Amino acid sequence: MNKTAIIIVILIPFLSFSQEKGTEKNTFINQFLNNLTGSFESNAHWYINDRTLGRFEDPNPEFDLKNEHVRVNSYLRLDYSFLDNFTVGLQTESYEPLPLLSYYPGYIGTELSNYYVNFRNNKLDITVGHFYEQFGSGLLLRAFEERQLGLNNAIRGGRINYRPTNYLNFTALYGKNRIGFEHSDGDVFGLDLGLDLIKVMDIEGLSRFKLGASYVGKNENFIAPVDESDPDNQFDTTNFPELINSYAFSLDIDFGKFFINSEYSIKGKDILYSSASLGLPKIIEGKYFDGNAILLTTGYTVKGFGVSGTFRRLENMTSFSDRQLLKPASNPFGMGSLNYTPALTKQHDYSLSNIYLYQAQSGLFIQNYGGQAGEIGGQFDFYYSFKKGSTIGGKYGTKLTANLSYWSLLDATFDQSNSSYEAELFKFGEKLYRDVNFELKKKWSKNWSSVLFYQNLAINKNLAIEGSYIPNDQQINSNIIAAETTRKLSNGRSIRLEAQHLSTEEDKKNWAGTTLEYVANRNFAFYIADIYNYGNDDDDDKVHFYNLGGSFTKGATRVSLNYGRQRGGLFCVGGVCRIVPENTGLTLNFTTAF
Amino acid sequence: MKNFFYLLALIISFNLSAQENLPTSKIETLDGTTTTLQEISEKNDLFVVSLWATWCVPCKNELDAINDVYPDWQEETNVKVFAISVDDSRTVSRVKPLINGKAWEFTILLDTNNDLKRELGAATVPLTLIIKKGQVVYRHSGYTPGAEDALFEEIKKHN
Repeated sequence: MNKTAIIIVILIPFLSFSQEKGTEKNTFINQFLNNLTGSFESNAHWYINDRTLGRFEDPNPEFDLKNEHVRVNSYLRLDYSFLDNFTVGLQTESYEPLPLLSYYPGYIGTELSNYYVNFRNNKLDITVGHFYEQFGSGLLLRAFEERQLGLNNAIRGGRINYRPTNYLNFTALYGKNRIGFEHSDGDVFGLDLGLDLIKVMDIEGLSRFKLGASYVGKNENFIAPVDESDPDNQFDTTNFPELINSYAFSLDIDFGKFFINSEYSIKGKDILYSSASLGLPKIIEGKYFDGNAILLTTGYTVKGFGVSGTFRRLENMTSFSDRQLLKPASNPFGMGSLNYTPALTKQHDYSLSNIYLYQAQSGLFIQNYGGQAGEIGGQFDFYYSFKKGSTIGGKYGTKLTANLSYWSLLDATFDQSNSSYEAELFKFGEKLYRDVNFELKKKWSKNWSSVLFYQNLAINKNLAIEGSYIPNDQQINSNIIAAETTRKLSNGRSIRLEAQHLSTEEDKKNWAGTTLEYVANRNFAFYIADIYNYGNDDDDDKVHFYNLGGSFTKGATRVSLNYGRQRGGLFCVGGVCRIVPENTGLTLNFTTAF
Repeated sequence: MKNFFYLLALIISFNLSAQENLPTSKIETLDGTTTTLQEISEKNDLFVVSLWATWCVPCKNELDAINDVYPDWQEETNVKVFAISVDDSRTVSRVKPLINGKAWEFTILLDTNNDLKRELGAATVPLTLIIKKGQVVYRHSGYTPGAEDALFEEIKKHN
């Protein structure tokens, strides 16, 4: 609250300027407003009691007691640039009176969450305050924001990016990650070096040749816990990893129509907690484990055709800026993550394709019933455009997209009594997920096009439903088929109809879904959609998840209103997920930029 | 709740101004060279920027639709389209095969950690801008079938 008051006091003079009428003042105001940019986003929900789903409940018991049905998450970002090279900025976040359902409970009230000063010219880019950053593909370090998931692990501290020449890129940073409105106890520091060799020497046949090396360190003090049942038993802190040193190397090469991107990371030794199934999780004494990751992407593309393959092996690559966030079940919201190891699968567009989703298994667990050391797998993507004028291409062309992904546990053997394990290098363990899908897009005429989609998938059941793996759990196999057609009418109007079906023998059995969308013009669009779990064995659970709504878009502003019932389960953006309970209600979203 | 209304009041008072200066966030070309919208604007008087992602269906629909009429656009106005992907490290490897598979003719750029997206205040993609002589003269978010025709009308206004 105090911080908000401060912001308002700071901003009041600016507001009052806009009231002034003098010509001279006006120039000044215009100047000021020209240099001020920002954006505002607000997502309001009114949760209602549902005759079928029951009374509105918050899974957080403390919040449930407050019985708040109307909740608004809002974000205001302001940036002001001055003296050619400087920018100051801030972000204020507001979760009033409570955060939306299944957001991190530490997001409460209105707070100044991010602030920074930046200097930027051709060679130097210096930030003091909060900043976002990514080294390589983020295997060691990525600070980013994903509002839909409630994630913002911006680092508060300082960063210098220096580009002395066009082939050298150097970044140094220090700070603490944001965790909700707080910051991590652990200190994070990093160095990243990029070398663009193609700019230095002329290598025949190569169009890209980049080398990268990074270092990420995390330091956090450790106070040995006292064993309450045996106070004389002191925690042996010899070799305790207060400082974790991690390194990554990358190499990107393009030659002719081929490209290769590769990255190898080594994460320094870190602690591990004992399993929650053995009582209160404790740090395993004297046993510290390092991790590593291999990421390799290669592809071949020519006009009208593209194919790429990605392989990734993750072993013990979970990394948080606070040690205690590693504790089993203590961090369901994925806060304070230092690196980024998302699920490398295709993000599907149809609602039935978003029921069974894979989450990357990067962590190490040495448990009493078995263990888990990481994941191994990959995916292929294929894009092809049938030539216009050919039999399949027709007058307007036909496009085919295919994607295949396969992920399994990294094969490893565990010695529970000694708290140790041995992982295989390239051996696939138990299958966790497989997805094969095709999409055919056909344009029949200038105003009429259709899409046909098919997907076959298999997934470890507990992983799909709870987001965590259970050994040898039942596998869910499903087939999804979807078809849609879009008809362009005159004056910017159009209509789109979509039908989809999911069939499976497992879990909740079959689903059917449909969507009808009408675009009145560039500004107004309306839709009505429903997915129906008609195959459910229990008649009471044969539920319709219906939704209808509309949106208005003009310039940088968009307002949308939606009423309906949301299916509960994993909700994922960019391969990162949170679990959302079923709920019904009215949603109002407002976004603008200025 | 009261704080929320303060915020709202703030927005309304600021929303009267429009963004004119171009962002300075660094973006990458497909061969790894760094550039900015400012640099692009020094070489191009009038151009279109589309923020898109490989996982965003309306974005791909928009760029497919523009690609179909792109030769006509260029013939008539000489306008160039820069399609800037906001794909993060999870999906950025799809960009190259996808743009070739779709045979798009645009200049493709990458904004992998979304610095530009944030600087533009783009809550969602697609976001389409027309930039003339270093200033944003038109901005639209979202894509609906046929919006490419309206976009071209705007381009012609500024040509």
